[in-house]
Amino acid sequence: MGLLPNQLPWWIAGPLLGLLVVGLFAVSNQPLGASGAYVQTIKTVRRDSDSVSWRVFYFVGIFIGGAVATILGPGIEFRRGYTALHAAGWSEPFIMIVVLLGAIVMGYGARVAGGCTSGHGICGTAQRSPASWAATATFMATAVIVTFLLTSFTALGDITPAVAK
Amino acid sequence: MNLVGLVFGAMFGFVLAAGQLHDYDTIHATLRLESFYVFGLMGLAIGISAPLLWLLEKRQLATPYGGVLSLARSKIERHHIYGGALFGAGWSIAGTCPAPALAMLASGASYGAIAVVGLFIGLMVRDQQLERSNKLITEGDGERSTLPMTKTLGAR
Repeated sequence: MGLLPNQLPWWIAGPLLGLLVVGLFAVSNQPLGASGAYVQTIKTVRRDSDSVSWRVFYFVGIFIGGAVATILGPGIEFRRGYTALHAAGWSEPFIMIVVLLGAIVMGYGARVAGGCTSGHGICGTAQRSPASWAATATFMATAVIVTFLLTSFTALGDITPAVAK
Repeated sequence: MNLVGLVFGAMFGFVLAAGQLHDYDTIHATLRLESFYVFGLMGLAIGISAPLLWLLEKRQLATPYGGVLSLARSKIERHHIYGGALFGAGWSIAGTCPAPALAMLASGASYGAIAVVGLFIGLMVRDQQLERSNKLITEGDGERSTLPMTKTLGAR
């Protein structure tokens, strides 16, 4: 609907996220981590746990919030996504496999490390946790290195990310 | 507590989508060190929440749903490092992370579903391994041990 700009500036979105982290801690003494919500959600779907965790509701909430912000902003546009990978000339099945394998590695790693970008990267670091700072520094550095390799040795290097600086 | 989870999830997803963090290009522009967006955003989020959390912990804030506020400060273990390395590699390849993948799907990008399914697979494979090895997972400080908390919170 264009009520929101296409992309909030980082100096607005960042503090908002920070306040959300503090808010959830103040209400429930819980970190705002997303990978745990995935685990709880699939356990609920498979009926592995007796009670439905609040993180399942949290999981659904992320989806709803994402949809609402998109409706208020650029509007929901049904598309495949990953325009950069398509622009790089990768075939459809190859892109699907890359995204799937990347996500599997990411999920596995998040469970090994005990958190993801939100859990370790924002909530853990904000708690001044050494484990979270170590995990965050590691995944940041690894991601930058792997991205460097991807842009150096694949057609992705010819694509400029279409995004405001 | 379920309503709290829903509302906080919605606000979280809202900010992620409003910041286009579900967009491959936003993530990759930062990881290529061509944009400051994600670094600036995470830095400010930490910069705002860390001092506030410190203050609230010092004042021993009694939270309505989770007892007295207690922050976790685990020691660094090997799995934090190699798990982080695997996560970072996947983050770069898939160009998204767990919560933004959901927001991506919600914004209409169908391939977000592939990322969500992949995340479920990866997380569950590791979860099953842990259950079989009967090891107590040290959740790290991003994910508080979910089971006991679930019970306390579920009772409310």
